[in-house]
Amino acid sequence: MHIMEGFLPPAHAAAWTAAAVPFVVAGSRSIARILKENPQAKLLLATSGAFAFVLSALKLPSVTGSCSHPTGTGLGAVLFGPSVMAVAGAIVLLFQALLLAHGGITTLGANVFSMAIVGPWIAYGVFRGIRGLRGSLAVAVFFAAMLGDLATYVTTSVQIALAFPDPASGFTGALLKFTSIFAFTQIPLAIIEGLLTVIIINLLSQYSRSELVGLRFIPGEAK
Amino acid sequence: MLTSDGFAWTNRWHRHHPAEKGLLAGGMLVLAVTLPAPTTAPIIIAVMFVTTVLGAGIPAVTWLRLMALPSGFLITSVPFLALSLNFSSGLQVVFSPQGLEVALSVLLRSLAAVSCLTFLTLTTPTIDLVPLLRRVGVPPAVVEIMLLTYRLVFVFLERAATGHQAQIARQGYVGLRNTLRSLGLLVTSLFQRSLERSRRMEIGLTARGFQGELRVLAPKRSISRARVASAAGLLLGVAAAGLVLDATVR
Repeated sequence: MHIMEGFLPPAHAAAWTAAAVPFVVAGSRSIARILKENPQAKLLLATSGAFAFVLSALKLPSVTGSCSHPTGTGLGAVLFGPSVMAVAGAIVLLFQALLLAHGGITTLGANVFSMAIVGPWIAYGVFRGIRGLRGSLAVAVFFAAMLGDLATYVTTSVQIALAFPDPASGFTGALLKFTSIFAFTQIPLAIIEGLLTVIIINLLSQYSRSELVGLRFIPGEAK
Repeated sequence: MLTSDGFAWTNRWHRHHPAEKGLLAGGMLVLAVTLPAPTTAPIIIAVMFVTTVLGAGIPAVTWLRLMALPSGFLITSVPFLALSLNFSSGLQVVFSPQGLEVALSVLLRSLAAVSCLTFLTLTTPTIDLVPLLRRVGVPPAVVEIMLLTYRLVFVFLERAATGHQAQIARQGYVGLRNTLRSLGLLVTSLFQRSLERSRRMEIGLTARGFQGELRVLAPKRSISRARVASAAGLLLGVAAAGLVLDATVR
């Protein structure tokens, strides 16, 4: 869920940018390290970024009639890992702002924080956790994608509530207000994205085994 | 192809140095978020509309359509800034005049900021702006990944659109079940083809001695002093007009 350009007051926009920068810097360091060993990985990274961008251009059916799009956060996090997603996500969000005027430059930091940092880390943590407890792949993927989505939406609500506390009940009231409004669209969307991600991973493990092995998503010998 | 990107490459100002357009859009954006919105924002929206439509020659309809796109977010959140929850005597939802004031100023500020972004989107190819990032300290490896990503986005978009069209023609999006299945298939084939393509590109580049750096000839463009001066003048003018108006209204 993108916070649009100019929506956040300057101080908040700056603070969220400052919060997002260390993750993106750490991510680009780890990318630089990967690239030093293996220059070809550059293409894989560009591919995953472009893939995430195109995912967000696909329309998802939504209950309220308005169309929304998959975030691809969960999918990217389980396939490529969350630290790489911070950079790939930041690139995708910047392109969405510059190419589509979707999201924004001043709110880039806040959006990166919710969509490229919190979402992927939660998704990855849930995925690893469920797999660690010997949960099935489908269950792990479903909850990773769904909870990653929900974490993103809750983070966005917190960001907005912090910026615009309720005149009477302050931050708590504002948070309650925004989580409940966004819940109408975001909870069904999160479930749909969870289902979609399971379908994608199932099809991938059927048809793209060697690619998944190459990404070290499933163990085995790469072709 | 994306309509906005098409205009970015063909508008009247597409040969102008990206830093000139970046200065105007970025400067206005800073003004939009820092100056008092009720007075400055309408001026910024008007100025950006005139520069985009009359200056760069973008059709007004295209401008409006791109401006309308992010309004979904505004519709779902701005009205709720004007409502207030009160817990003191049970749960009460009340209309708050103070909240309405905030809501209106956020609405104006956002629209003004979006008009700056829209100007940039419609007049400047994104790829022209990416090299500017290198100057602000983004590592060259990341910049190069961005350049590659940009190229691949359009390759994949076209592929996704073709696949989507084929699925629609086969009733692939009738009902929620089919829709999810079709989307899953589309994404899967996209993923498979994307990786396949990246592998082919890898082999092709390795065969040509790829060492981790792509060298391309950038078109040489000089920064026009006159245009930088007029952008700066415009920024100063808008800032002054906004502040003066704000002082007189109060």
